[in-house]
Amino acid sequence: MEDVVLRPAPIPRRAVPASLFAAVGLLLLLAPRFLDRGSLNDIWNVAFGVILACSWNILGGFAGQVSIGYSAFIGIGAYTTVLLALKGVDPYLTLPLAAVLGALFSFLIGLPAFRLRGPYFTIVTIGVSEAVRVFASGVSFTGGSSGLRMPAGSFDFGVNYASMVVLALAVVALSAVLSRGAFGTALSAIRQDIDAAEALGIDSSRFKLAAHAISAALVALAGSLYAINFQYVAPGSVFDFRLSLSIVLMPIIGGVGTLAGPVLGAVIFSYLQIKLLTIPALRDSYLFLYGGLLILVMLFEPKGLVGLWNRLIAAVRRRSGGTDGP
Amino acid sequence: MSLLEVRGIDVFYGNVQALWGVSFDVTEGQIVTVIGANGAGKSTTLKTLAGLMKPKTGTVLFGGRDVTGLAPFELVEQGLVLIPEARQLWPAMTVLENLELGAYGRRARRDRARTLESIFAMFPHLKERVRQNAGTLSGGEQQMCAIGRGLMARPKLLLLDEPALGLAPMLVREVFTSLKTIRDQGVTVVLVEQNVSHALAIADRAFVLETGRITLSGPARELARDRRVRDSYLGLASL
Repeated sequence: MEDVVLRPAPIPRRAVPASLFAAVGLLLLLAPRFLDRGSLNDIWNVAFGVILACSWNILGGFAGQVSIGYSAFIGIGAYTTVLLALKGVDPYLTLPLAAVLGALFSFLIGLPAFRLRGPYFTIVTIGVSEAVRVFASGVSFTGGSSGLRMPAGSFDFGVNYASMVVLALAVVALSAVLSRGAFGTALSAIRQDIDAAEALGIDSSRFKLAAHAISAALVALAGSLYAINFQYVAPGSVFDFRLSLSIVLMPIIGGVGTLAGPVLGAVIFSYLQIKLLTIPALRDSYLFLYGGLLILVMLFEPKGLVGLWNRLIAAVRRRSGGTDGP
Repeated sequence: MSLLEVRGIDVFYGNVQALWGVSFDVTEGQIVTVIGANGAGKSTTLKTLAGLMKPKTGTVLFGGRDVTGLAPFELVEQGLVLIPEARQLWPAMTVLENLELGAYGRRARRDRARTLESIFAMFPHLKERVRQNAGTLSGGEQQMCAIGRGLMARPKLLLLDEPALGLAPMLVREVFTSLKTIRDQGVTVVLVEQNVSHALAIADRAFVLETGRITLSGPARELARDRRVRDSYLGLASL
């Protein structure tokens, strides 16, 4: 009889081999040597998307707590950086504080909201983020609806590009580590059956708060880098509800709760958005496209592109007469 | 000695009162069964004991300590473990992952390997399925996995909510036999069960819950002979 090993059994997710990950990372970091600014901008956007999607996936995917209010954390990161920069602090030195404030704010939302489950939780996150946007537009320290400009100074796109890419790689790596350890297993138990998780001694509130804080901190970091790159921040842009929606769409298109899904979804979504926004007729109607895409995914493959891929693999195996189908 | 003392608990769902001044004792080393019709408050009683619901009034003493209103994870750490209704396994995890996660608490984690061995000794069938996703198990296997997962938490008191629900008669017998084994290993058991004749056959004591109140209690053997119990819950058996 098979010997039972007392370690968490490998989770049956097809992980991207570490070597491929390292190679892609190296290539992206070396890209400024051989790509033009336009292409680098595209990569920057994709990296931004990857950070948002993978961070969201820690709470929304691994733990199954769907929040549609993540733009709040982008805004908090962005504003932390701009406000401190206006006080003369080096923008990159504001990153740690942005992460801490993002995490703190996640507790503020999470402590009341995690008492609710499923769609009720989601609705509260929408409400809170909208409230934050309205608040930020109304008070003066955010520059009101016209926003704030970073102090004029030397801006180096190369540094910002490298920071964004490194952060994206770090978030993907962190997701992989988290999903395999005890922390990820507990989140997965909460997603699959929260009552059972509670009944067996997993303090679900604590894990949900922790997952929320980690992802909020990462998204706030991305928000800081966003502000540094655009040198300008306004409530209408960083606290935009459409931004919150996009953050949810990316992992859903790619495959919620998987490792590769959010990355895949972010790459496709970000690239699509860049291209679509250059078509004048679509500039205002692109949300219709996303809505349609979302409906299609939900109808035909709720597990996203990763689910589609797994189905394809299974079909090929069946065709070739393999016996270990699911 | 009483391991669990429930003193006059009132439990509400919103404005609707589900339990009315429920009091009972559970003696260490016994199987105690709570019987009653649908909606009598059996599951509510277990959920309250496990900390998933909070009583509005009344107290729960566990091992002599007041544990009223403690969170589920704190109760698990003290050895009070619920195996929820309808198994509620984590379907996308393997059997082994389900079992291991049962030993999530600090106290249980230390003994993980030994507990696992004893569970496989009790349910040899489960060992053959360790790598299989829990969602693909049969109903009986799922129940064994759920009981095993509960045992992984090293309970002093195990609460079971309808473990025989929807199982074939042969499997029902196997599940009930395992409960006796569990008791003989020193774990106190509180069993909620619709299958009253089976429950009374293995239990030491029994309580009857009717619309949220305890109306009868006593040694299980006596209750099995009680005319009111026979008429209400063992109707077919007395024909």
